[in-house]
Amino acid sequence: MTTKDIVLDHVSIRFGSYTAVDNAHLTIQGGEFFSFLGPSGCGKTTLLRCVSGFSEPTEGRVLIGGKDMKGVGPNKRPTALIFQNLALFPLMSVAENIAFPLEVRGVSRKERRKRADELLDMIALPGVGDKKVHELSGGQRQRVAIARALAVEPDILLLDEPLSALDLKLRHHMRTELRAIQQRVGLTFIYITHDQGEALTMSDRIAVMNAGVIEQIGDPESVYNRPKTSFVASFVGETNAIEGKVVLQSGEMVTLETPLGPLQGKAAGGRRYKNGDSCYLFIRPEQMELKADAEAPNTIAASVTKEEFEGNSRILFVSANGVDMRVTRVNRGGSDGMVTGHAVTFAFDPAHATVLPHGQLAGA
Amino acid sequence: MNKGTGGGPIAAGYSLLFFAFLFGPLIIMVITAFNSSSFPRITPWECFTTEWFDELFGNERLMAGLVNSVIIGIGVVAISVPVGLAGALALSEVGPKVRAALYTVLITPILIPGVVLGISTIVFWGALGRSVGADYGSIFFDGMFLTLAGQVTFIAAYAMLVFLARLQRFDPTLTEAALDLGATPGQAFRKILLPFLSPAIGSAAFLTLLASFENYNTTVFTILSGNTFTTTLASKVRHGTDPSLSALAVIIIAVTLIGAMVHEAYTRRAEVMRTGQAARSKVYGNPVLSVLAHPAMVLVLLLGMGGSLAYKASQIDASVCKQQILDEKRALQEKLLEEQRERIRTQKAGTPAPAAPSSGPAPSSFGGAFNPGSLAPGAAPASPAAPQSPSGFGGAFAPGNLKPN
Amino acid sequence: MTALRSLFQPMAARHGLGAACFIGIAVFVWVVFLIVLPQISMLDYSFRLNLPKPDIGGPLDVYTLDNYAYFFSGNDGQLNTLDIGILVKTLVAAVFVTLIDIVICYPIAYILAHSATGVAARLMVIGLIVPFWVNEILRAFAFRVLFGATGLINSLGMGAGLWDQPVDFIRADVALYSGLTYAYILLMVFPIFNAVEALDRNQIEAARDMGASWWRVHWRVVLPIAKPGIASGATMVFMLTAGALAAPQILGGPSNLWFTQLIYQWFNESANWQRGSAYAVILLLVCIGFVMMLMRVFKVSIGEIGR
Repeated sequence: MTTKDIVLDHVSIRFGSYTAVDNAHLTIQGGEFFSFLGPSGCGKTTLLRCVSGFSEPTEGRVLIGGKDMKGVGPNKRPTALIFQNLALFPLMSVAENIAFPLEVRGVSRKERRKRADELLDMIALPGVGDKKVHELSGGQRQRVAIARALAVEPDILLLDEPLSALDLKLRHHMRTELRAIQQRVGLTFIYITHDQGEALTMSDRIAVMNAGVIEQIGDPESVYNRPKTSFVASFVGETNAIEGKVVLQSGEMVTLETPLGPLQGKAAGGRRYKNGDSCYLFIRPEQMELKADAEAPNTIAASVTKEEFEGNSRILFVSANGVDMRVTRVNRGGSDGMVTGHAVTFAFDPAHATVLPHGQLAGA
Repeated sequence: MNKGTGGGPIAAGYSLLFFAFLFGPLIIMVITAFNSSSFPRITPWECFTTEWFDELFGNERLMAGLVNSVIIGIGVVAISVPVGLAGALALSEVGPKVRAALYTVLITPILIPGVVLGISTIVFWGALGRSVGADYGSIFFDGMFLTLAGQVTFIAAYAMLVFLARLQRFDPTLTEAALDLGATPGQAFRKILLPFLSPAIGSAAFLTLLASFENYNTTVFTILSGNTFTTTLASKVRHGTDPSLSALAVIIIAVTLIGAMVHEAYTRRAEVMRTGQAARSKVYGNPVLSVLAHPAMVLVLLLGMGGSLAYKASQIDASVCKQQILDEKRALQEKLLEEQRERIRTQKAGTPAPAAPSSGPAPSSFGGAFNPGSLAPGAAPASPAAPQSPSGFGGAFAPGNLKPN
Repeated sequence: MTALRSLFQPMAARHGLGAACFIGIAVFVWVVFLIVLPQISMLDYSFRLNLPKPDIGGPLDVYTLDNYAYFFSGNDGQLNTLDIGILVKTLVAAVFVTLIDIVICYPIAYILAHSATGVAARLMVIGLIVPFWVNEILRAFAFRVLFGATGLINSLGMGAGLWDQPVDFIRADVALYSGLTYAYILLMVFPIFNAVEALDRNQIEAARDMGASWWRVHWRVVLPIAKPGIASGATMVFMLTAGALAAPQILGGPSNLWFTQLIYQWFNESANWQRGSAYAVILLLVCIGFVMMLMRVFKVSIGEIGR
């Protein structure tokens, strides 16, 4: 156990009768880039404020470096928080902002300036120290906020959706940059986001939250490829959810009776189902292949409702027997003649389909 | 003016009328300050004079009141601003239920009539003083202290409103960020919240000083037997007016206008500097104009202009003109008296004088002032409220003027 | 006490002990010693007799309703029509002045918020504020100059042959109403302005676009938005007008008293502080009752005052 470890020990946070976080129990390793991913209102920010010391858990403990943080204020914890709106001090210059943690610790003016310049070099913004915050661009502010947090020399950096105010291109750029900074400084990063793309690209591990409950913890691949709940399957990445009832299970392979006929998929995590269980079969749009052969298993006949062109790919919206699905196809140039009403047949490999018990879907 | 949302000539015309109502009385008052007529008026114009300014500065009671007002004003600012700040901070921290109750309590002093505040203040401190056995020389019966207490009661609420407006724009995550970066709550308060509020401290101080200086309703009770500038002014206005009050208005309005212009120059400049558009701006890009538009320069220029105008005006000698007016008045009186004697003679002769232009109380602007008997000193029928609100007639044809006959 | 502590502790956690102590003490002193206790002692005083000094605290110093009884029935047991009449007249006049202020300030607030732009708007704001930096007494004095028997109005009116005797505007209270209307214009314009400014210009244009007349646009779109501002402004103007003392003293006719002048007389001329206190309590209660009644009628809360 290092000073950079965090343990959430059966943490619950309640406001009156409302439970914002329900029994979160996990360990974050020192030096890890750990993301909490979930829709807005799922309790992830509440959990982060609890780690940073702005609130206390109703039940359970927060341990940082093995020490119980109960009663330790935010200014005494080895954490630094990057706020969603960055919370840079508008009346101070960039250098004063970055040196603020040193100022309140009584570091001399000269030393503060030196340290601020070092940090500005580190975030590749040398020479902006005397500018006012509002003179910087969005991306520059972002980096200043990180530099200011690093000036605290924290063991753990907490980031609350820091990229949400940036435009798309900058957001993508900052993902790489954040990950690079994290690897350079070797701190534990706890990252809060509702953007699964951010979580998947940057994180070592991800905790997917819904309605105050942590549904799954794992590395990006396992969360994406091996979701453990219907919510995770539908929230992380695009997917098609097909409802059905179990008619047969042999080993990992489960057969469901669905409005589209019998379909096969893998039971997640070696789960056993009884016949008649209500389930969802999840299949990613990119795993669906157009096929001429109507005899193979997991073949679906449908008609095109519309097509969206996304540049590198095309998304085909299809409908079969009242079930709406989408199919992603790589754009290889030229039109593919998929007009509305066009009849198509497609199939998928049962090994790529996941069968999960009936549950809440994201966005439903 | 935007046509789509209701601009156009009607709006412009209405605005003109509105501002005529706002400024008209003030402009007229300003003009009367320079008329030698002993009652403040424009018509008839007699002589241009600055003697009313001398009269104003020679008024010792007013000047003593001014000293009291300044002392009280400084005290009120020094207490109201921190108290108002405390109120605003308290309101921004407490829960919604307590907030509503506290807001109601803190805002009521603004709504309570000033006389009620004044009375309750002297009654309360007097009772407190008696209960501790203090004598009448003690602080509980000191007009200055009571005025301070009475004024702070409601002026602190003004300051509080200024701070509340500013606090609404404060981003509370800034305080959280400071705490998270290792600041103690006290440090976060001093280094983040107070600097953010500092512009409001300036405007609150100005507002409270003005409110204290202007206040009459509360002060007239709490000052007891003493005087402030405003109470002296009020008693002067109530017991007879002369244009030295107009002269005072001229000074106040001049100071106000200069202050407003300097403030405007300051905010414009600050805005241009902040947005970094100085180089592109026509005024601030030009080195000469930029210096001219600097607030300090604006102040110097305006003060210089005002000063030279005042000096020139003070050099004009009104005595010749005044003598002339006096002579004209005497001549007019002679003539009127002559006419009256004539009328009395004709009446005695018992012959009606139907066509005589000057017979009987002619419906002229000099109306009833020249009815028989009106020449008796102190009787000026045209002004029924004679002693309290001397009319123009009472002043112009004051007994003193008529006496030489 | 627990309630106070529950208020104090989050404050200390947030701003530090020093700041919390400052806030706590300042607000406590303000509320208790400046607001609440003085009002209570005035109320207490109003139930006492006007006694010579040696008798204070003695057996004669008892609570009494005399001072209130006097307001209603005078000394002779008859209805005190004079004082009650003055109170009613003061209230009616204050309502009248408030209404005039609403009527003349609503358009200017609307123009300022939605028609004037750039320099014009800035000049208008300055033009609104500057007259109110001039002392209240002097503003009243200006109206006296204006409406005096040889004032500009009389000179113009007689010069134009509209009337041939100087009209006594002071006695007719015209000067007083004008002066009071003028005195509190600013307090009406800015609350309405603040409320109307929040209105999205597109809403007006949309309404116009759908063919609504100007009347209808204001009645259905602008007025509902302006209502809290009007209520706030009207409350302040009404309370200040009803409680005005300087303007009635300077501009009021000799026979027409304002209720505050009655209070003033009890204090400064009759030296009967107890009765003066009772009259002040009556004024306060009647004004607050009246305002609360109107707030209930127009469904506005006191929390919106001063915004």
